[in-house]
Amino acid sequence: MALDLQPPDSSKRVKVYELRDNDWFDRGTGFCTGQMLDEGPQIYVQSEDEPNRVLLKTQISKDDGYQKQQETLIVWTERNGTDMALSFQEADGCAVIWDFVNSAQQQLLSLAPAVGCLPRDVADDALSDDLESYQSIVLPAPNLANLGEIEQIVRAASMTQAGRDALSKFIIRDEYIAKLVPLVETAEDLESLADLHCLCNIMKSLILLNDNTIIETVVADQIILGVVGALEYDPEFPTHKANHRQYLADQTRYKEVVPIKDPLIRRKIRSTWRLQYLKDVVLARILDDPTFSVLNSLIFFNQMEIVNHIQSNAQFLRELFSVFDPRNADAKRKDDAVQFLQQCAAIAKNLQAPSRAQLFANFISHGLFAVIAFAVKHPNPAMRTTGIDILVALLDHDPVMMRGYMLKAVNEKKTPLTDTLIDLLHAETDLGVKTQLADAIKILLDPQIPLQDPLARAGPDYFKIRSSNLLSDAFVQQHFDESSKRLFQPLKHLANRATLNDLTFQEVTLHSHLVDILTFFVRQHLFRTRNAIHSESLAPRVAQLLTAPQKHLKLVALKFFRTLTSLQDTFYQALMTHNNTFGLLLDIVYDTMPRDNLLNSACLELFEFIKRENIKPFILHIVEKYREKLENITYVDTFQNLIIRYEQMQGYGAEADSVLFSQDDSTPRRMPLNGQRWQGVKDIDPSEEDYFNGSDEEDDWTQENRTVLAAGAPNGSSALSKPLVDYPDDDDDEDAMDIKPEDDESEEKQTDESSAENPKTPPTQTAQTPPLERLSEKRRREEDDDDDELAKLTTGPKRRNSVSSTQGSGLLNRKKPLSIGPVGSGEKGASILGSVTAGTAPKRIAINLGPANKHTTDNDSCATITPNPEESNEKENREGNEGEDEA
Amino acid sequence: MSDLDRAIEQLRACRLIPESQVRELCYKARELLIEEGNVVSVDAPVTICGDIHGQFHDLMELFRVGGDVPDTNYLFMGDFVDRGFYSLESFLLLLCLKVRYPDRITLIRGNHESRQITTVYGFYDECIRKYGSANVWRYCCEVFDYLALGAIVLGASSELEPTGPPIVNETQSSMPLDDDELETEVLNSRGEVTMSTYRPRNRSSSDSSDTSRNISPPRDISAAPGQTAGAPLRAGAPGTGASSDGNGSATTTRTGAVLCVHGGLSPLIDSVDKIRLIDRKQEVPHEGAMCDLLWSDPDEIEGWGLSPRGAGFLFGGDIVKQFNHLNGLSLVARAHQLVMEGYKEMFDGGIVTVWSAPNYCYRCGNVAAILELGEDTSNGGTIARSNGEYGRSNGVLGSNAATTVVSPGRRYRVFEAAAQDTRGMPAKKPVADYFL
Repeated sequence: MALDLQPPDSSKRVKVYELRDNDWFDRGTGFCTGQMLDEGPQIYVQSEDEPNRVLLKTQISKDDGYQKQQETLIVWTERNGTDMALSFQEADGCAVIWDFVNSAQQQLLSLAPAVGCLPRDVADDALSDDLESYQSIVLPAPNLANLGEIEQIVRAASMTQAGRDALSKFIIRDEYIAKLVPLVETAEDLESLADLHCLCNIMKSLILLNDNTIIETVVADQIILGVVGALEYDPEFPTHKANHRQYLADQTRYKEVVPIKDPLIRRKIRSTWRLQYLKDVVLARILDDPTFSVLNSLIFFNQMEIVNHIQSNAQFLRELFSVFDPRNADAKRKDDAVQFLQQCAAIAKNLQAPSRAQLFANFISHGLFAVIAFAVKHPNPAMRTTGIDILVALLDHDPVMMRGYMLKAVNEKKTPLTDTLIDLLHAETDLGVKTQLADAIKILLDPQIPLQDPLARAGPDYFKIRSSNLLSDAFVQQHFDESSKRLFQPLKHLANRATLNDLTFQEVTLHSHLVDILTFFVRQHLFRTRNAIHSESLAPRVAQLLTAPQKHLKLVALKFFRTLTSLQDTFYQALMTHNNTFGLLLDIVYDTMPRDNLLNSACLELFEFIKRENIKPFILHIVEKYREKLENITYVDTFQNLIIRYEQMQGYGAEADSVLFSQDDSTPRRMPLNGQRWQGVKDIDPSEEDYFNGSDEEDDWTQENRTVLAAGAPNGSSALSKPLVDYPDDDDDEDAMDIKPEDDESEEKQTDESSAENPKTPPTQTAQTPPLERLSEKRRREEDDDDDELAKLTTGPKRRNSVSSTQGSGLLNRKKPLSIGPVGSGEKGASILGSVTAGTAPKRIAINLGPANKHTTDNDSCATITPNPEESNEKENREGNEGEDEA
Repeated sequence: MSDLDRAIEQLRACRLIPESQVRELCYKARELLIEEGNVVSVDAPVTICGDIHGQFHDLMELFRVGGDVPDTNYLFMGDFVDRGFYSLESFLLLLCLKVRYPDRITLIRGNHESRQITTVYGFYDECIRKYGSANVWRYCCEVFDYLALGAIVLGASSELEPTGPPIVNETQSSMPLDDDELETEVLNSRGEVTMSTYRPRNRSSSDSSDTSRNISPPRDISAAPGQTAGAPLRAGAPGTGASSDGNGSATTTRTGAVLCVHGGLSPLIDSVDKIRLIDRKQEVPHEGAMCDLLWSDPDEIEGWGLSPRGAGFLFGGDIVKQFNHLNGLSLVARAHQLVMEGYKEMFDGGIVTVWSAPNYCYRCGNVAAILELGEDTSNGGTIARSNGEYGRSNGVLGSNAATTVVSPGRRYRVFEAAAQDTRGMPAKKPVADYFL
């Protein structure tokens, strides 16, 4: 096939994007040329950094798949279904390539002798006949008399893909929308509702043609008001008229802190706002999936350019941050600037990690932290919220970086952000702000941040930070301890209170946040938190809260002890057996029984867990100390069963333990209620085994490490129950228990005492622990991805949630269900198959689910699939991926 | 007029209450919900409703069709938020009503009452849009954590008081014999009977299975008259003695309890009492009993199956039958799945899906339904406790073999989306100001 085509003579700098999981993935930057090869015309992009790498090589086909968006974008769908985009640095470059693509397509079309000649066309284009007939769609010049006719033609053409294509072409070529717009006013003047309804239907159909160029036309300055004007008269709501025009015409909605001078960017800001309004308000009810994603991509690319413009504009940034100069008295302007930054941060959330990193780095170097400090101390709670929103956006983006900055401040003897936040948390009266502060402190103090999306972070930088972070371990510990001391001060002061009946509302809230944070720390960082809990003797204080009259406060305290229980760590076990904790817990049971309520259920769940997991030290302690109390609780059998367990233990000597437990193997204990029903016993993977085998001299630590790994969510989502079950007949553990107790604990059982030792020797411990901690934490990080459901639940999504996203862009949002859906199902699949190792299984199974999904969702589950653009996109997308993987 | 009444009035008009009031409301609701068990006991009469999904105007229509609070007792089976454009108004109104009339309205948790899900499906964005920050979302999510996981309806009557003659011809309804009692009735939104089924009053006939009940719902209530939509017109063929027992006069009959959950059953939960052992105050987990209750679906399979939703399970008729039998239940009512007819009974009437969001997502074209269970007054209003305390200490397999469980009389009210005139065009609230 010989084309007479002149390829562009120079290459154009361009970014290549690929749509993956509904997110535009940056394949890299390079130089784009058009090429004429034997097999036909091609677009070719060569990497800028590694000239040998080809970023893109795609055949131009005659199918009408290419679209030019704005000045600098070319978007199309590859033959395998992948959506691609080229974002040019210069509008000129874009135009050159666009011309090349266009002329190539035209020639290809003219060359194609007859429809159906190419086998592919026959195969995938059953509409080729229609194509012929529709190619000549022409609408009459609109006037009030022929609107009905036009509406019919448009509707008919919209029925088929070919018709839609042909119609779109005509509309664009003929600038037809501009011709329709004046009719709106005419019809309004004539008060001709029928005509207005017609116009509304036509506009709707044209927008739903789902063509980028048409949608861009619609939001253009001269057109938009006419279009939404027509859309105000929806025939489905004949007695209503919307007031879109009033909203969109209101210029004052656009706030400018520092004027943006570039007219192109100003235009983009305007059209992004209009697109969002179209998406959320005007078209909210009628949007179909493709149009929804077209709107979202347009918004995404606009925002990307706007943000890029802002951050590359040093003059602008200087002006922006100078607003916060203390000498500047314009308070309103400062507030606006904070809100401006928050919007930037919210938009940045949708960007890809590298551009986001760049933006934040730029902001930080201009003094973003000072702005946050200004905002969080603002007298207006709404501004405090905004300030923390910005902070949380930063934390979400890169907690490691944030902690780096914070530690740097400590090192330089400046007041670190954490201290400011802690003081604010103690003093804050607005409950919303207080919650946000608590969340932020959690993340900032979190000594070991689990990887959230390692892919999103640029590799080398990330590891650099991480390793420097590891080096300063002792320092981190010290800072953590000091901050904890400051943070939990109010909790400590509870010791001086005779009664908790006079807690004020603010105190109750504060304490529940503090205990919540403490619970979080314990769960995430068993070892680090020990010092804090021990030196400040926090456990008795939390136990004290079990007696508070506020039930929700009791619950928070209960959750803390439930978490300690699930850790199965001797140190924490000792804490619980010492402070009459179980006595207080049983008091709650007494207070609430036999009524069936939340507090009662939560208590029962804890004792059930102890029974189910057969936590020996607890069973011994509870039954010996509180036997009478237990015997009096008869409305459930949990407590009687605890006594039975105890008696079984007493009946056999230490050697008989193994017999006892092997007997138990046949009882339901091996199949705990929540844990293992389907998955069977999960194999420890070989590396894990090596790890445990390799560190002989640290046996008791290893044991603890293992229990850390095994400890799952309080409510039984523990996937790794096996180590727990092994625990009693584990030889190593016996050794650990043989350590000679200190005398004052004589009534306690051995296990308790060996653990009770730990808190007594913190200084020597810190000396030797750091390397061990690193090991264990390294393991934990590896485990996080697979096993730590709870960490996923509490850290990942939750934190993401706390950042505001004012525009609710589906691009980002649609990314999330993917992580819920397929991953979740994958895990379930993995656990059901049992033998599949956790590492690879989820992904494969998630993919396998695709078709299965299709089958089962036909009727009933259309609740989840059909109606929702997001979900069906998700599905499509999943199937798309599948195809890609196979290909 | 108290603040609460004023708030209710305002919300009924689809106008939001200030953030400070939301906070206060959520705190009050929390105090109330903390006292509720994981499975709330509810006495008949009660009207059971399925998913609402922020379709405020349709919720108003529901109250119009089903009767207003507090005149009618309601039980909402979760999924108040997401998808629709008025999640806040809908949920806050229900919460206000809960706080105002705690014994008249019961709210249980759906899978959408979760932080993770609401960030994806609209509620989070709606809060940001309408209140400018995520605070209200946080307050609401806190309340979600306290919502009960299920409810059990006690003391429902096995027989319905007939509403009136059916308007549709007899092809959709069976004519009662003198002796028969009215078991199910389907009414349209004007209160006209479109279908009814009967079962024989005399439990005397054969020894056939005591669990088989053959009430088929009309698959499509909009089916043209003449098309026999509800095929088996009678409760079983004459003589099969559906819902009867063969043990003669020594046995007792009672209406079994109705378990209401959002999703369905869990392989980890073999008795209702097990649900009590869950610490429910947490984000909906990704697996485990609590997750299953909110995520599972019934399906035409044997035993348990993998759910395409990625959470919860599919469960078959055998599971339902066994669970109902062991727990003395006659029916499981659940929501969670769109059904075009508004309700769908499965597995010989052992489980019913109730869906209360008409024209779901403003485009699905389905009708919605609510399920009314009447009060059993035959024992002078004494409720035969059939669960809760039932079988608690002597295990679930007590000596109840001689007792027959009869399903409650069920009245479905089917309704369509609120008339367009009664509401504005549904849309999200646009952002007030913008910088970028």
